[in-house]
Amino acid sequence: MSAWKRAYENLCTKHWSPMLGGILLAFLVVLLEAWYRPWGIVGGLRNWADWFFYTIGLYDEEPALHPLWSSTSSILDIGLIWGAFISAALGREFGIRIPPKIEFVKAVVAGILMGIGASLAMGCNVGGFYMAVNNLSANGFVMLIGLIFGVILAIKYLYWELERFPSSGGFEISFHKINPFLGIIALIGLLIATKAYFGSDLDRGEILGGCLILAAGIGYVMHRSRFCMVNALREPFMTGDAEMGKALTVSLILSAVGIAILKYNGIRPESAYVTPTFVQGALIGGFIFGFGMTVAGGCGSGSLWRVAEGQVKLVIVAIVFALTNSLVRHFFAEYEVIENGYLGKAIFMPEYLGYAGTLLLIALVVLVWYIVIDWNEDSNKLVLEM
Amino acid sequence: MSDIKIAPDDIKPDMTIDCKGLSCPMPLLKTKKAIQKLQPGQILEVLGTDPGSRNDIPGWCERAGHEYLGEKQDQGFIRFYVKKGA
Repeated sequence: MSAWKRAYENLCTKHWSPMLGGILLAFLVVLLEAWYRPWGIVGGLRNWADWFFYTIGLYDEEPALHPLWSSTSSILDIGLIWGAFISAALGREFGIRIPPKIEFVKAVVAGILMGIGASLAMGCNVGGFYMAVNNLSANGFVMLIGLIFGVILAIKYLYWELERFPSSGGFEISFHKINPFLGIIALIGLLIATKAYFGSDLDRGEILGGCLILAAGIGYVMHRSRFCMVNALREPFMTGDAEMGKALTVSLILSAVGIAILKYNGIRPESAYVTPTFVQGALIGGFIFGFGMTVAGGCGSGSLWRVAEGQVKLVIVAIVFALTNSLVRHFFAEYEVIENGYLGKAIFMPEYLGYAGTLLLIALVVLVWYIVIDWNEDSNKLVLEM
Repeated sequence: MSDIKIAPDDIKPDMTIDCKGLSCPMPLLKTKKAIQKLQPGQILEVLGTDPGSRNDIPGWCERAGHEYLGEKQDQGFIRFYVKKGA
């Protein structure tokens, strides 16, 4: 086999290991935060939904952010979907996948719960947990506790559903043959769009261009390694498999060290992604979001890369998630829920523990987590019986 | 980085389940449930469209003590074969 073909297979068609995905994800989110801002998902989705509700006349005020190409929140989501699509298409994995009917109902219910949960936690599993932990904010691990209990309840629900509602009859509209062609067009398009941002008259053209291509990198890495935080949190309770969970723990500590350096040196404000959700917002929001994402089969980021792969269920999840999140946050704004501190306090851990102490605490938590899921991989003590 | 295992041509499944159009974790859950109904040595065929199953099904077989026999590409879906372990 020629070296060219081998390189294509390794880079574009084979699945990367979760561990490689987790390490590269940590690298990219640190780069993104160094470039301009923390990684996020739900802000961009909510912005699109805000514009939708404004356009149909439900909201009186025009949303503060531009809907598409000149707000970073929006660009991060577009970039993630774009990068994941390149990966899916180059790997011949893009196809429109229509699920059985019951999955449509689950998608709507799950999307609503994810929208509510991400409002309470002021972020999905990305902004509220992964990026909160590595931005050294106390609400991150609190959301994790909520997520875990939500995931456990959802596994019980899925077992129950399997007994009562056996489903079949889904299908795929396959684009197997033209997939690599679509992937190359998307890749060239991405490079042109990035170059256009850097040469544009927009206020923050370069910033936006950097965000686009870094987010596309995140999308590519997540799709190729099928990096999935639902899988990481669910499998220890469903099959005992700990591979994704271990990758997530490594990704968390690596990105936390990177972002701690950025904050310590004053490159980014210490308050970035420290939200006033400690304890109740993160805990309750995490629980509701955890249940929703497990029924959906994708968290904030995982739903978007599956959208790019052509999973119709996750398209519905993403839309309902965005609309619900917009409505609930609109309601919060009316009653000043966040400003009044009803969701909790903003706690930047280094203020209490110092930077070294905070990193040690994060290292300790992920180490214990790693050991528990590794032990469970052999003993299956945490696995819920079917 | 995993290589794809191709199933031998002459496989005769004892049971087939339809997971087409489903996404993670449903194909694996249905597989897990279906295999409970088989005897050791019998073969389960899983029809699916989720690329994630290429990781999930072989990985789960190894953990649960079943033998993963491989996959066959069909028109618009993949057939996965699992032989129930003792």
